[in-house]
Amino acid sequence: MGTNEQPTLILKDIHKSFGKNKVLNGISIEVNKGELVTFVGPSGCGKTTLLRIIGGFTEHDSGEVILDGRSIGHLPPNLRDTRICFQNYALFPHLTVGENLAYGLKVKKWDKKKIRERVDELLTLVQLEGFKDRMIDKMSGGQQQRVAFARALAFSPKVLLLDEPISNLDANLRVLMRDEIRRLQTELSITTVFVTHDQYEAMAISDKIVVLSDGYIQQVGSPIEIYDHPVNEFIASFVGYVNFLPAKIDSIIKETDAAVVSTEYGKLEIDIEQTEFAPGTEVLLVIRPETLKIAPSNGTVTTQNVVQGTLRRYIYSGALAKCHVVLGNDKEVIVDIQDPRDHVPLRENEKVDVTVSRNVHVLKKRA
Amino acid sequence: MAATATLYHAQLTGWERIKEFFNAKFINILALSLFLLLAVFLLFPIFAVLVKSFQGPEGFTLAHYENFFTHAYFFQSLYNTLLLGLINTIICVGVGFCFAYMTTRGPMALRKPLKIVAMIPLIAPPYLFALSLIILFGRVGLITKTFGVNWEIYGFDGVVIAQTLAFIPLAFLMLENNIKSLNPNLEESAYDMGATEGTIIRTITLPLLAPGLLKAALLVFVMTIAEFGNAAVLGGRVPFLAPDTYTMIVGEADFSMGSVLSVMLIMPCIMIFIAHNYLLKGKKFTTIEGKPIASEPRKMSPFVKVPFITVTFLFGFTIFICFAVVILAAFVNILGVRNEFVMRHIMDFRSNMAIWNSIRVSFIAALVGGIIGTLLSYVIVRGKFVGRNLIEMISLSGFALPGTVIGVGYLIAFASPPMKLTGGIMILALNCVFRFLAVGVEAGITKLHQINIEIEEASWDMGATFFTTFRRIVLPIMFPAFIAGFIYTFMTAMVSLSAIVFLVSPGYELAAVTIFDAAAYGKIGLASATTLKMIMVVILCMIVLNLLTKFTNLDIERKGGAA
Repeated sequence: MGTNEQPTLILKDIHKSFGKNKVLNGISIEVNKGELVTFVGPSGCGKTTLLRIIGGFTEHDSGEVILDGRSIGHLPPNLRDTRICFQNYALFPHLTVGENLAYGLKVKKWDKKKIRERVDELLTLVQLEGFKDRMIDKMSGGQQQRVAFARALAFSPKVLLLDEPISNLDANLRVLMRDEIRRLQTELSITTVFVTHDQYEAMAISDKIVVLSDGYIQQVGSPIEIYDHPVNEFIASFVGYVNFLPAKIDSIIKETDAAVVSTEYGKLEIDIEQTEFAPGTEVLLVIRPETLKIAPSNGTVTTQNVVQGTLRRYIYSGALAKCHVVLGNDKEVIVDIQDPRDHVPLRENEKVDVTVSRNVHVLKKRA
Repeated sequence: MAATATLYHAQLTGWERIKEFFNAKFINILALSLFLLLAVFLLFPIFAVLVKSFQGPEGFTLAHYENFFTHAYFFQSLYNTLLLGLINTIICVGVGFCFAYMTTRGPMALRKPLKIVAMIPLIAPPYLFALSLIILFGRVGLITKTFGVNWEIYGFDGVVIAQTLAFIPLAFLMLENNIKSLNPNLEESAYDMGATEGTIIRTITLPLLAPGLLKAALLVFVMTIAEFGNAAVLGGRVPFLAPDTYTMIVGEADFSMGSVLSVMLIMPCIMIFIAHNYLLKGKKFTTIEGKPIASEPRKMSPFVKVPFITVTFLFGFTIFICFAVVILAAFVNILGVRNEFVMRHIMDFRSNMAIWNSIRVSFIAALVGGIIGTLLSYVIVRGKFVGRNLIEMISLSGFALPGTVIGVGYLIAFASPPMKLTGGIMILALNCVFRFLAVGVEAGITKLHQINIEIEEASWDMGATFFTTFRRIVLPIMFPAFIAGFIYTFMTAMVSLSAIVFLVSPGYELAAVTIFDAAAYGKIGLASATTLKMIMVVILCMIVLNLLTKFTNLDIERKGGAA
């Protein structure tokens, strides 16, 4: 993926209001060639509106949409090299699978023979050979999804827009189709914008994630960046569960790039990448449940980075066990045990030692 | 279980046993009584017409039909009627689609005004347009005199124009509903793949609307061929079946030929009713639904916008003008001849009496119709007996049956003892009740489908008897449906002419008949004033409905269409 090339799609300072309701407040995003970028956020965050602005269905109030170096903001959808795939697929119910795939090609007055070849190609691509003459309502949800995807690919668009394309499928099929979309997208190297409200889907499929909330971009980054280095509390708790622990920087140990922080429940030594934290800074430790270790307590704290608590609840769910531990009076933290069958037995309402990894993310506490 | 049941029954007194029986079988008893009512007041009159058409001095005869088919006049009448229906249907559905497209996909600023214009004819009787066309293009019409246009409004063209204007709302309402339920993403997808708006309409919108278009077309066809007033007032020397039936019965007292004409009128309706059920069975496109989709206004292509705006504005303006001249004529001595402001038409005693009679008849009809409609919908949805579908079909059929035929039927069926009803107010009210049942029944069915039967079961479970459950649970829930049936019956009964015209008797003159007579005799001022007052009553009625909806959160759907 040539990073030197200019991005395929650029959004510059996009603003949009519906009446008094400001939906997008200055959104700027770059999507590189062949990348899959996901817009993710709670409902009402503006992600679908942004997608419809790229597609040309919604007019933005100000800002620029640039596709391959050309400003396309003023063009109607039928003159844009973008192709959208709606959540409800929007397959034409009065046409067969083949006719659906051929629709755009016919509109563009392709030669009949070429259309037939292209339709066959597309059917092969999504493994629906033999379904050409089926009516749409005789296809299962998953098959309809494939048809919709194939239809959007008919012209090899410069940017493919997917609006929650798999949210209508059941859980198992969703994972299957997600991987399928990702496979085809990488294979064909299609620049894609994917909208979803499902954080895990976003994590699994994306090169880059754009987290939106209330019409603002909260963070742009790779799935790893979003998960491990969230820029604020919203992002941290948006993907997966997170324990927040208020703390104060005591001292910085320059040689090891470590910091000693004090919490209500004891002192901890952690790695610190940022240099902005001077001793005395109030911070928030972002601790993922799976980074914590738990063991029955023998009463005294001897090892470093261990806080003591009481195991309140132990919830077993096969691959994982969730331990709700109460620190101090009422601070509840969750500890995940991977493969709990091999773990030392734990009993509810008994004292436990919770080991905090040195590798925790630190956020500056907001005033 | 069996032992306790016997024991329980053994302890009951005679009276309690009767009560028990009624409780258990109430719904069946109710269904049977309602079926009897439908049979007597809807099926029997139609049947009577059929019998009469085959009845000669010596029993069964085909002579009347022979008579019909050997006279060029009658054949011409049938031909004119069908041709009128065809032309009207094409124009109404076409114009209705333009309006519906503009109010759902057009520029935001135009949606509301165009919708209002397209619906306005609903508040007036269809024959208002005959009246306006006479005012504009009649022998001393405004346009005829001012511009010296020598265009004969009395004839086929005039009827087509009046009918078209009158039945645009019907097509519009059905199509608007259909377009609204289309997923806009479908059109957007086509747009996205490079189609222009014209192509989208041709390849996506219209094919998807096909079932709705067909349905609207069939309904408009049935309504227009059955409509009596416009053809009678404007037909002139051109024969049409509905007015000819009237001439036969009222003018020549030839009930046999009148019945044959009625049968001819009802045949297309029955054929269409069957075609409608057969053609549209399972013809509905299902699409996967995602999040609720609001249709965002998109820029219309000029190739679509210009013709659509031209059509809608042209028809909208015409409708507006038609209303305006009727209002004007109501306050002018003789419009175009003696243009002075007068109140004598408005204050006319005969006209006021007719309005008052109409209100009385409509009120009785609405009350009875609302109750019967509600009860009917209940037994149709909740009953468990054979023939439920039949009851539903019969009760909905009154809507599509030509009023003229029912009018003739009532005249034949209820002219002699034991069921002598002619000459009085009851026959007028009953006629309206059974012709306009459909809306109340449909509203009730829709309402009941929204309510889980478990609500009623919960009431039984808590120890209530069937009667208590019915009174305390079912009736309150059904109230909005009753109101819908009530208002609809009231409004349609107010303006209805085609059946009523056969049944009025001296002393019970109704507004619709007064307008018809006045228009036919060229008393334009009187006709206009009575029409205006009629419209006011209907508007008042709609205001009451709106207030009721607002203050009680009733969700009452208004439906259009009257004859």
